[in-house]
Amino acid sequence: MVILREGMCPGLDEDLLRSLRAADIRTVEDLVSSDSEELAQKCSVSYKALFAIRRVLLAQHTAFPVSGADLYEELLSSTAILSTGNPSLDKLLDSGLFTGEITELSGGPGSGKSQVCFGAAVHISHHLKQSVIYIDTTGGLTASRLLQMLRSETTNTDEQMEALQRIRIVRLFDVYALLDCLYGLCGGGLQQASVGGGSVKAVIVDSVSAVIAPLLGGKQSEGMSLMTQVAGVLKTMAKDFSVAALVTNHVTRSGSGDVQPGLGVSWSHVPRTRILLERVETAPSVSRSSLRSATLIKSSRQPCCIKEEFDLRWWSGAAGGASGKRKLDQAGS
Amino acid sequence: MRRPLSSLNLGTNVKVKLGRAGFQFTSDLQHLNPEQLSQEAGVSQQEALQVLQAADTGGGGGTFLSALELLQKEEGSRSIVTFCSQLDHALGGGLPVGKTTEICGVPGIGKTQLCLQLAVDVQLPQCFGGVEGQVIFLDTEGSFLLQRVVDMSAAAVRHCSMLAEDEEQQVAMTTFTVENILSNIFLVHCRDYVELLAELHLLPAFLQERTKIRLLIIDSVTLPFLQLFDDLSQRTRLLQGLGQKLIAIATNHNIAVVITNHMTTRLRGAHSHLVPALGDIWGHAPTTRLLLEWEGSQRLASILKSPGHMETTAQYQITCEGFRDAAQSEQPQSKRSRTFTD
Ligand SMILES: Nc1ncnc2c1ncn2[C@@H]1O[C@H](COP(=O)(O)OP(=O)(O)OP(=O)(O)O)[C@@H](O)[C@H]1O
Ligand SMILES: [Mg+2]
Repeated sequence: MVILREGMCPGLDEDLLRSLRAADIRTVEDLVSSDSEELAQKCSVSYKALFAIRRVLLAQHTAFPVSGADLYEELLSSTAILSTGNPSLDKLLDSGLFTGEITELSGGPGSGKSQVCFGAAVHISHHLKQSVIYIDTTGGLTASRLLQMLRSETTNTDEQMEALQRIRIVRLFDVYALLDCLYGLCGGGLQQASVGGGSVKAVIVDSVSAVIAPLLGGKQSEGMSLMTQVAGVLKTMAKDFSVAALVTNHVTRSGSGDVQPGLGVSWSHVPRTRILLERVETAPSVSRSSLRSATLIKSSRQPCCIKEEFDLRWWSGAAGGASGKRKLDQAGS
Repeated sequence: MRRPLSSLNLGTNVKVKLGRAGFQFTSDLQHLNPEQLSQEAGVSQQEALQVLQAADTGGGGGTFLSALELLQKEEGSRSIVTFCSQLDHALGGGLPVGKTTEICGVPGIGKTQLCLQLAVDVQLPQCFGGVEGQVIFLDTEGSFLLQRVVDMSAAAVRHCSMLAEDEEQQVAMTTFTVENILSNIFLVHCRDYVELLAELHLLPAFLQERTKIRLLIIDSVTLPFLQLFDDLSQRTRLLQGLGQKLIAIATNHNIAVVITNHMTTRLRGAHSHLVPALGDIWGHAPTTRLLLEWEGSQRLASILKSPGHMETTAQYQITCEGFRDAAQSEQPQSKRSRTFTD
């Protein structure tokens, strides 16, 4: 039994404690097992505040017997599914990026990893009106490409500008800077970035392998430890702040020509969902195609190895792009 | 959340000492001043100060820029033209400043020619729509040919003086001379990968002083890394580190980084075909990748990958004046008819 104390968690102040006592709620267990709605009325506090306190206490004292229904409710209240805006990818992802989880895109140079990241950022910021943090470690991000993608979503320039404003970019090129950034985001940066626009719902790291891979192998073992730290802070951030983390990874080719995501076995446990992007080979020496295939190679929701094809021109605005999109829409339905 | 001290950018030595003294997380260092820390952990005061500074960076998560602010920056920045208008068009105006671009191709296709052309073009005065910057040229193959630069510069000067109309442009022409163009190119020879990496290590300090440099050329990045490595994965790692260094230089100093790469054969089934050298993983490093290749007697420049532009192909030729559009007669039918009806 744990007695409720002032300051145990944010919001649990002296006044609230007093009214809780009056309602015969003395321990954490009492609070967790009571009906929040009823209690909120009795103590004249907002249901939301009480619910938040209850959640924090639940997290701190997980050994309490909690009913599955409670957990499910909890999950629903904090999990959101963010559509990437691309029907093929959404199909693989079981409708989109899940908050609280890490999703990975891997693929060779030019396979479309960054394009998918751009598209998701634009969709989340424009359609869902939520903020996105984009950590660019390879210098691939250009705002003009984001604008081009937005133009195929809306012709209203105000909306375009607002959407661009909700995408917050940081460019950094080594693992220490990445760790600084991620810890900083957990230590208040995420709330700060939410001011003004919607709250931050997605954090994109494109690419995570670019800053980790140069340190792996060889004699130093430090690379491994830094990779573990990146994984740890990403996971915690995704869970504690209910954001969807989207990362990109390179691929390695085995002797037999099989393609596999980079960073090795220990990293493979980090993302909950992994997608492999590849060019769709047309006949050699025919002009290069903008078709890409996406294969689900790890998932806890869908059978693996589902494969979808999509066209990188899907996101292209202006000339031909818009009509191309409509055509694809029809083809997809 | 608590941040382990091992995640800070500190020497291994210092980290070990901190660990031995029982410091694990940044929160363990709160309320300590450098003297106290230096005594408790047995590190120098200088090191203690570094530790405390490194531990203090958290909070904001770095400097964020909204995509809108980035867009405004991009719109204010100019690209470096190649003088092949088809290629410039495919690239949205030329080679981007602040990004890295790799030029791949077989020997003799014109990689160095394009590099030399860019070294001249980056110097075009602003009133002619140019970048008006200086160049640093890292030559690893001994391919920098002064006479070619002189020819290309003379052609560029001729071209601009023909275009010059208003007074500003007339004035600019008094300093846009072959001699000045040559004096704005800093040439460095690197004989092996150690020299190349060392040069790049020193470069940020040099760029800090020479703020007019807008272009860094490495011709080629391949040769220094062709020498035998006992462990091929070490080469991959070094190259990955090099790639990150280049994009950091390009971003932090707002310069265009242009590197050249050779081609190598790869077997796929029974067919062998040419692919850029240095391996697949290196392919992620440059922001944009261009391929120069032959098609019959015609030279083609294709975008192999670009995060912002479609993969298209342009025709070019190399004349004594430099890198140029393919001659009219050799252009495809559609292109020609359009030019005639204009
Ligand atoms: N404006 C555009 N219109 C159509 N297709 C485009 C456009 N911009 C880029 N692309 C396509 O996207 C490709 C690049 O994809 P992307 O930048 O996502 O690669 P990537 O997987 O991130 O590669 P890397 O690992 O090298 O960063 C280009 O080669 C081109 O085919
Ligand atoms: Mg990319």
